[in-house]
Amino acid sequence: MTDQLIQNESEPVNSGFSRRSFMAGSAGAVLAFTLESSMPDSVAQAAGAATKIGGNLTINADNTVTVAFGGAEMGQGIMTGLAQCVAEELMVNWTQVKTESAPWAQSYITGGSFGVRANFLAMRTAGAQARDMLIAAAATSMGVAPSSCSASAGVISNTVNSQTRTYASVAAAAALLTPPASPALTPKANWRIIGTRANRTDIRGKVDGSAIFGLDVQVPGMVYAAVRHSPAIGGTLAATPKLPAGATHVINLGNAVAVVAANSWIPLDYCAIGISSTSSTWRDGIKWTAPAGAAAMTSAAILTTANTLMASGTPGTPLPENIGTAAATYTAAPKKFEGTYQVPFLPHVMMEVPNCTVSLSANSAEVWVPTQAAGWVAATVSSLTGIPAANVTVHITLLGGGFGRKIEQDFVAEAVKVAKVVGKPVKLFWPRDEDFSHDQYRPFGLIRVRLGMNASGTPTSFQARNVSVSPLFQRGWIGATGNDNVDGLVGTPYNIPNKLVEFVRHPSTIPVGFWRSVGESMNCFAVESAIDEAALVAGQDPVAFRRALLAGKTRELAVLNSAASMIGWDAGAPTGHAYGIALATGFGSLACLAVEVSQPVAGSLTIHRACMAVDPGMAVNPTQVEAQMQGGIIQGLTSSLWGKTTFTNGKASTSNFNNVRLMKMSEAPVIQVQIIESGAEFLGGIGEVAVPPVAPALANAYARLNGTRVRTLPFF
Amino acid sequence: MTVMTINVNGVARTVDVDPATPLLWVLRDVLGLTGTKYGCGIEICNACNVWIDGSAEKACHLLMKDVLTVKIVTVEGLATNGVLSKIQQAFIDEQTPQCGYCQSGVLMRAAKLVSGNAKPTDAQIDSAIANLCACGTYPRIRAAIKRATGQAPVK
Repeated sequence: MTDQLIQNESEPVNSGFSRRSFMAGSAGAVLAFTLESSMPDSVAQAAGAATKIGGNLTINADNTVTVAFGGAEMGQGIMTGLAQCVAEELMVNWTQVKTESAPWAQSYITGGSFGVRANFLAMRTAGAQARDMLIAAAATSMGVAPSSCSASAGVISNTVNSQTRTYASVAAAAALLTPPASPALTPKANWRIIGTRANRTDIRGKVDGSAIFGLDVQVPGMVYAAVRHSPAIGGTLAATPKLPAGATHVINLGNAVAVVAANSWIPLDYCAIGISSTSSTWRDGIKWTAPAGAAAMTSAAILTTANTLMASGTPGTPLPENIGTAAATYTAAPKKFEGTYQVPFLPHVMMEVPNCTVSLSANSAEVWVPTQAAGWVAATVSSLTGIPAANVTVHITLLGGGFGRKIEQDFVAEAVKVAKVVGKPVKLFWPRDEDFSHDQYRPFGLIRVRLGMNASGTPTSFQARNVSVSPLFQRGWIGATGNDNVDGLVGTPYNIPNKLVEFVRHPSTIPVGFWRSVGESMNCFAVESAIDEAALVAGQDPVAFRRALLAGKTRELAVLNSAASMIGWDAGAPTGHAYGIALATGFGSLACLAVEVSQPVAGSLTIHRACMAVDPGMAVNPTQVEAQMQGGIIQGLTSSLWGKTTFTNGKASTSNFNNVRLMKMSEAPVIQVQIIESGAEFLGGIGEVAVPPVAPALANAYARLNGTRVRTLPFF
Repeated sequence: MTVMTINVNGVARTVDVDPATPLLWVLRDVLGLTGTKYGCGIEICNACNVWIDGSAEKACHLLMKDVLTVKIVTVEGLATNGVLSKIQQAFIDEQTPQCGYCQSGVLMRAAKLVSGNAKPTDAQIDSAIANLCACGTYPRIRAAIKRATGQAPVK
């Protein structure tokens, strides 16, 4: 190893390169940057995230570049989207670009569909700074002024003499220069890479088997651990079970037992249900102490409490939205609609189970983990070991699905605890049935919507009351009277003069968390179903009803009209089929979905087509926008039709794919996506917005098909 | 523990494991062939699919002692000397994977389908691709299979 590290102590600037390091040798030169995320402070603080993030850029010896950044790639294409931003300004071709994960100190929370939109300008600025530094170094080398130089495909030429320099040849010198404060950014008209269908950098490894997910990590000398938690959430081990044959350790983790062995199979066999019968004797012999208040962790009791809170609960303060006189207007309205909608606890259902690999030394630690929150991982390790977070190296692996589940620290903490006992590197993973039965679920909730209308059926008041379990309260991020779960209720786009939104916190201790599209995943179902139901009361067509309420809202009308046009709304559905439509606004984007359904047999529903019009402002990569729409629609269909976890005395109903149904190839509709770019350089997020409109579009279609209104999810 | 030899991707591999260990965990833990995935462990999700004598099977329930005389192919064996097979290239061209975790199993079934069927119909694709994908890549799996077999991409 001949690499040497030289660090320059320049002062931080607001974006782009603030400190530089230079690694000379076969690896090429590394330019490190720190930048200010434009993720809103409120969001960053709520998520506990540092706003200062970063990454680095390596100019490789073969004149390719490697962009490292601190986000989580879980299929949404974030690595590619951000690298496109850097490559655009760096003046390299897309075929010269590689991506990798950056150290956790340069990482950030991946959530809220913020990955690309929050870092768009900063990544471009970083690329532009690197470009100008490389040009400056090349100019010196060629004996010309930088103003006479230009870069293309990673080669710098000049207009004075015939010399050229590759990036690789001048990278070491460039790394010693002072980064320009405000480098020129390429105007949109000249973009070569942003906005194109650039191929993703992570896909080759995903088709040849070489991609490394968390569960694939192998470290010299490591052992394997699986866990089994108390079947009732919150229960604890009454006694440490005996060491099962073939295992090296059995470890009492309080609410769970960990089994450690020299391979994955032995601990999995003991901890998982339904794989082999020989392990059941040991498993059945584990004595658990039931959690206090187990009876309250029963779905029927949770619903009873929710109904009481809906009728007489005290709303959180301040009111999330209170415009005009909604309650009085509703009372006096000549026409009105009221409906209460119910959404279930929902498991995340990612294909890769929770897992984490930990290697501890005396005063340092190394972690390999599929995480959406690498900074939290470092904090978790530090709090459990006393090792300073600065001495914790977190390798963010690829995530085999995240959907919000892999922001959590429960599986990380277990891996650290086991590693402390074993004294060797440990890969800890959850059996599938532990994942589905001990998730941090999308909250259960009731949402009541009231719409007052005048005599001609025009809505004059909108009221929504959300009664649900609060992820923010369970984490101590809000107090007992704080608000949560109102995304999709506050700021609805409809021109209704009086609006009132309330949140009433449900006290259930069933653990809840962040599920793709969070509050929108429950509230859009209620609002967009209620709009269709109110249209029925008003005697109006649902699309025409929405158009009237969106007068002057250019972006909303565009997606509404596009989706209606794609499905053929005005012509009407074929005999025996029905159309339904719903509009979602969130994450800076708009998504309107129209579906076509039929019901050839009772107890099921055939979804023939799904037509999505999405306005993300601007599409950095249209292929990935389309992919997120396709995937979000299918996940939304799965959860709307079949998704739920119920509880009996704290024990979950879901355990494996024999009782958790995913939509299959044969059941998926034909999907059509229309991207509408309404913004010059404005960006909305695209990872979540496809999910919320699915349930209401489906319910609206179902009601038009057979007159039955589904107000409780899932359908079946 | 027993010393056994199995044929994986055309190579004889000798391992020392319990004969009752499922093939999945020998591939992953012992041979380092981690492309084959654990998804459910109960033969439903198809993330663990490999070829056994040319037929797509679930490695989570195939015991080592039962695969001693067969030819095993994993996703790592689909390419030839680093050159991707036609179906793998089609998955890249259609940008099919999202998270990618289920895709090894999908590819084993898709590769099997296109090897024995020059022009699979939509119904045949639906039947062959029994894999569970939580990201919802089904439209792009279909497009990739159509592309690999020279058919128009849309259902």
